Amino acid sequence: MDVLLDEEEEMIAESARGYLEANCATSLVRKVEADPLGYAPDLWRGAAELGWAGMCLPEEHGGSEMPLVYLGLVMREIGRTVAPLPLLPSAVASITLARHGGAALKDRHLPQVASGEAILTWAFFETDARLRPETVKMTAREEDDGFILNGRKLFVDHYAAADLCLVVARTEAGLSLFLVDTDAPGISTRELVTLAKDRQSEVNFENVRVPREALVGQAGDAWPQIEEMLDLATILLCAQMVGATRKDAEMAFDYAKVRSAFGQPIGAFQSVQHMCADMQIWADAAELLTFEALWRLDQGLPAAMEISQAKSFCNDRLEAAVRNSQIIHGGIGFMMEFDLHLWFRRVSAWSMRMGTSLEHRARIAELLLDSPGQVRLGRSVSPAPAVPVTPELTEV
Amino acid sequence: MNFGYSPEQEALRSEVQTFIRDNVTDELVEEMDIHSGTDRPRGRGPLGQALYRQIGERGWLGIAYPSEYGGQGGSRIDQYIVEEEFLRAGIQISMIGSGAPAILAAGTEEQKRYYIPRLIRGEVSFCLGFTEPHAGADLANLRCSAVRDGDEFVINGQKMYTTSAHVSTHIYLMARTDRTASKHKGISIFIFPMDTPGLTVRPLWTIQNNPSAPKFTTYGAARTNEVFFDDVRIPASALLGEENDGWRVGSMGLNLDRVGAGRYLISVRRDEDIINFLKSDEALGARLSESEVVRDKVAELWTEAQVCRLMTMRSMSIVERGGAFSYEGSAEKVWAPEHGVRISESIMQMLGPHGSLLRGSPHSVQDGLYAHNVMGSFQSGINHGSVQIMRDQVARRGLGMPSSRGNKAAGVK
Repeated sequence: MDVLLDEEEEMIAESARGYLEANCATSLVRKVEADPLGYAPDLWRGAAELGWAGMCLPEEHGGSEMPLVYLGLVMREIGRTVAPLPLLPSAVASITLARHGGAALKDRHLPQVASGEAILTWAFFETDARLRPETVKMTAREEDDGFILNGRKLFVDHYAAADLCLVVARTEAGLSLFLVDTDAPGISTRELVTLAKDRQSEVNFENVRVPREALVGQAGDAWPQIEEMLDLATILLCAQMVGATRKDAEMAFDYAKVRSAFGQPIGAFQSVQHMCADMQIWADAAELLTFEALWRLDQGLPAAMEISQAKSFCNDRLEAAVRNSQIIHGGIGFMMEFDLHLWFRRVSAWSMRMGTSLEHRARIAELLLDSPGQVRLGRSVSPAPAVPVTPELTEV
Repeated sequence: MNFGYSPEQEALRSEVQTFIRDNVTDELVEEMDIHSGTDRPRGRGPLGQALYRQIGERGWLGIAYPSEYGGQGGSRIDQYIVEEEFLRAGIQISMIGSGAPAILAAGTEEQKRYYIPRLIRGEVSFCLGFTEPHAGADLANLRCSAVRDGDEFVINGQKMYTTSAHVSTHIYLMARTDRTASKHKGISIFIFPMDTPGLTVRPLWTIQNNPSAPKFTTYGAARTNEVFFDDVRIPASALLGEENDGWRVGSMGLNLDRVGAGRYLISVRRDEDIINFLKSDEALGARLSESEVVRDKVAELWTEAQVCRLMTMRSMSIVERGGAFSYEGSAEKVWAPEHGVRISESIMQMLGPHGSLLRGSPHSVQDGLYAHNVMGSFQSGINHGSVQIMRDQVARRGLGMPSSRGNKAAGVK
């Protein structure tokens, strides 16, 4: 047990931070906010050269088979610089493809993803944008040698940038995953105008034909794979939120040290110091929860509980941290030309994506209360095989 | 990054659990009880002595302490595992507290050889003579004096909230040795037996004592005391570290006292208790477990409790690497006690009037556990540095925030 970063992890994080700090100024972030493409191609090429696009993909497909914790560290640094990169959706969709796709599909696409030439995204959410299987109404009708897709997806990240999209649709057998060309005939999109000023789309599928080979895994019963994909997207988003909040909070700490009022820096007032202390404590806590969940995924341990803990906590406490930062900054904090809002708007928007606090806490409560046996902190709750309950737990 | 325990550590945990199942009896727990009515030094009853022998033979005492002073020279994490399991069974085997780290850091060779092995074996236990009527959070304001007289010091003054003074063998005393120096500079630390002539212990009865709280359920249930010193003569060899260097020496111990198994468990046990109550066959628990509002609240609190666990793991990781805390111990000492209050107050509103019944009352829930906890949970936010002071430390030491004019006037860095 050692929850601190080891040398190699420090190196990964430092190298990511170095690259982004050198190449992603806030002027670039602002420029991309106004660009329909939604990401910075030069920055992406450089990131791909550093191996980020294929970090957790198999070596045989050009990836580096690194642990998810490493990818989490990179996501944290991307959050810190609010770098306009499509890594989150591309990594999530490509890792899912690598785990569940057929050999032909993987051979054809994964090497291009790993090199950064191809960008992937995924589409799950619809009008009822919760993390639940019954929300998927989109259909995939089996016909001839393929499927016909009909329906509407919402909140698809970086669709304009993506070459391929992993789409969740309902076949007669149940939920299934399809890898679809983003410009396939019958697809139309509308851009959403997001609080984060990043690119999310509504994607409409009208009789979109996909070949049988586009099916990832089996037709029907894909919910476990889909849930795994959603969980991965959720926890990597947490890592991104942690990084963004860290930077946002540091801006407030620095500002409080130099901004003077009543004859001293405002950071010398305990009321301000205690706000800052809480921000640091919340960010630390969010980071510990996030990386424990990622670590468990790497170990092949159940992590549903930990992922929901991390996201519900990030949603509430990191939002509170960036709000504190706004308050400490006072008027300057909501000036368009001052950079702080680049972080504030993103952390706020991200806190509403990939499951609200209420949704995640409902899942935590299910795991805690609707499982057999007694709970004890530090011991996995269901669905892990239950460790025998020791008698002292019943003594109070 | 590794959030798991090694197979050896897991094996140690189950070995300790098995030992506890086979050997820890109600009589033993009663005898070891630090808030029992007896004046016998804790751990010095026949059953307690037998327990120390047994666990000593297994190498579970003082695991992380140097082997030349009776420890095992092992890992802090192993020691934590043993401490956690015994605490869960109602026994505090480590009474080392603040004293031992400071003795190792600042003591003479003779002091190390005398105290460390005895502390580890439970033969010596310290009460902390820090707080006074006029010196609590502002501890450096203390007045209790120690005046040198040849090879001796003469102590006069009063200490307050000296927890377990009546069952400790020794006092670890902070006293003023130089009245002319600035307030942090004239302080020294002394260790001497409680039966030294001129020393008187009187109980201070807390709100937890009538009726007394169910055992090991809440903070502040241990009996506390006031201690009076009336021309108490002690040899100069009782001095720990240099004369007038006591502020620095004392702080070596305090930081380690704010983290660890005891602080962690006292903050999170109610989370486990209430969830297991909601899962039980009790009608009230079963009804509550179906409420969406209760479920949401319980999930939120459980997540907070996980943060307590993770911050404890972080502190252990820092210590195990041989590092020093910058602000992490203080952060943990903000989060965990305040969580303890939030869980306690949330449970009040879940249970309603049943939750307000104290120990021994008809219709009480789990023998009044939660009602007593209302009186205890907030105390964790006061003792050993209040959460307000801890936040100051996070901001100043951790984040480099400037000192205020008010603090400069008060001499706080």
